Amino acid sequence: MKFSFFHLMPYTHLDLESHEWPFPNRYFDAEKASALYRTYVESMIHAESCGFDWVGCNEHHFSPYGMMANPNLIGGALAYPTKRVKIAIVGNLVPLNNPIRVAEEYAMLDCMSGGRLVAGLMRGIPHEYLAYNIPPGESWERQREAVQLILKAWTEPEPFGWEGKHFQYRQVSIWPKPMQKPHPPLVISASNADSAKFAAEMRATMGMVLLADLPSGKECIRVYKETAKAHGWEPTADNILVGMHTCIAETDDEARRWLAQGLKYFDQVLMGGLQASQRIILQKTRYFENEESRDRWKSRLDKRKTLTLDEAIERGTVLCGSPETVVSQIKRIHSELGHGVFNFTVKVGTLPDEVIRRGMELFRDRVLPHVRDL
Amino acid sequence: MQPQARKVSLSSGELSYFAAGEGRPVVYLHPAGGVRWTKVQDELAKSFKLHVPIMPGFDGTAAHVQVKSMKGLAALAGEFIEKTLGGPCDVIGCSFGGYLATWLAAERPQLVDHLVLECPAGFRPKGKGERPADPEALKKVLFLHPEKLPPETKTAEQEAGNRKMLPYYGYAADTDEELLARLPSIDKLTLILHGTGDRMIPKESVQVLKSRLAHAYLVYIWDAAHAIEVDQPERMLAVLTSFLQRSEGFMVNWGTLAINEG
Repeated sequence: MKFSFFHLMPYTHLDLESHEWPFPNRYFDAEKASALYRTYVESMIHAESCGFDWVGCNEHHFSPYGMMANPNLIGGALAYPTKRVKIAIVGNLVPLNNPIRVAEEYAMLDCMSGGRLVAGLMRGIPHEYLAYNIPPGESWERQREAVQLILKAWTEPEPFGWEGKHFQYRQVSIWPKPMQKPHPPLVISASNADSAKFAAEMRATMGMVLLADLPSGKECIRVYKETAKAHGWEPTADNILVGMHTCIAETDDEARRWLAQGLKYFDQVLMGGLQASQRIILQKTRYFENEESRDRWKSRLDKRKTLTLDEAIERGTVLCGSPETVVSQIKRIHSELGHGVFNFTVKVGTLPDEVIRRGMELFRDRVLPHVRDL
Repeated sequence: MQPQARKVSLSSGELSYFAAGEGRPVVYLHPAGGVRWTKVQDELAKSFKLHVPIMPGFDGTAAHVQVKSMKGLAALAGEFIEKTLGGPCDVIGCSFGGYLATWLAAERPQLVDHLVLECPAGFRPKGKGERPADPEALKKVLFLHPEKLPPETKTAEQEAGNRKMLPYYGYAADTDEELLARLPSIDKLTLILHGTGDRMIPKESVQVLKSRLAHAYLVYIWDAAHAIEVDQPERMLAVLTSFLQRSEGFMVNWGTLAINEG
């Protein structure tokens, strides 16, 4: 089992709930953000010495939810201080961006890190489409076209042009090209059947985060494996990434207390505006290709909001407790899902950074030795 | 625009062709399925003088007994251009026609101005590329959007007759090594088009052309299989007409404020 230390890089100095979107940036304090960036990046660098295999972040816009408008900048900050750990950008929101720019920046990161990039090519959660003024109804088309264009940009031996529906380039010849051949490993989000199919078609690792429950995760994995088989390949456990909020402390009580505190800020402050904007998109656009996917997403949002921490632990959708408890939680979830990469979202809301640091050391000393060989 | 059916007498026999439009001359060399008049030909004829010869033996026409090779067919195409247009023209070749157009550029370079190779045959690495015999399977390989196909005008006999002409002309199912060796000598400004969903002509075929031709541009057409003209005529026309009108300038996004569109 491989473990990924994932950081959302939230802005944690707000003392109000907001259901506005976008979150008004009059509340943003650059001095405080500067200190947060330093703390977060140092903690990600430290993850390597705590035995993590990947260290990762992703892209969000117009919200304190995550201060990574461009996660590739964080990847650049991680490339030289780390030596072994994979730099997992999970990922760039390809339907929103210039796909050639994504291909170029990822190729830079792969070269700078000596071939350690894990390249996430994500469709993005609905509200990001408001931020970049992209029609949510085009999200799937743009995602499919952009991913294939990026693969071409990485692998074509000669300059080429691309005449597509959403992207047109008369000649492309990126410098640099990635170090990993034929290209860096891909991660594509696969939290519903449609996206699981697409990840399998692209031979990408499937990424599932914020699961509603384990059965829905199992169903996505079934669809992913079935589609992969139809496309002539067999995924391994390493092609399945499962991500969860994670808090490890000396005792179960301590871990629950800290995570509950962090989740309160996460749900009430960080998620407030996002949920409002997402509802508008889900009701008014064709972000989802069918009603079933849309209803599943809405129900996932609603369930997450009403679920208590104890219920989430019981459902196997968060990791929380003493090292021994977390070992048994990891084993249980692994026995259900059979995945090979576990993605820990460690900075949950206002969960203190010193608690996270201690949790990383507990993971290294008392969790990892018992789950490495799963 | 309705094309006019015409005939011209060549040294090896009579050749049928279609003509439409006025302007700079363009010759279109058809694929192995024969002539299919699509939106692409219609649109080209609005800006160019378009000639579409029917190669001997295709679409129910008689074969020319003296013409039995791709090289011989290239000589015939050259004579056709001289007789009907009197001088150099832009040449577009689709699949089998792209293979033929490459031979024409190698054999009669003085007759070719811009060269356009649309999913050209003749350069498939051995064993690569699907060529199903079953008509239904073939249709799936040819089209991602068969619903866009214009009504079929060919009889079953014509289609069967067309298929027989490939071996007649010694068509190389894989790579034509002789022509491959001559690619570096072709110095025409060339546009190579390939559908991102083309399973008949693998990407390696167009990559080798791009790498060996001195002045070539390769453009992938998204969401098109082998029959780019049927699957994505608008995308193909956007690239093709820009290339024919602006040469290397087709790479420039002219926007709406161009001071010199030429």
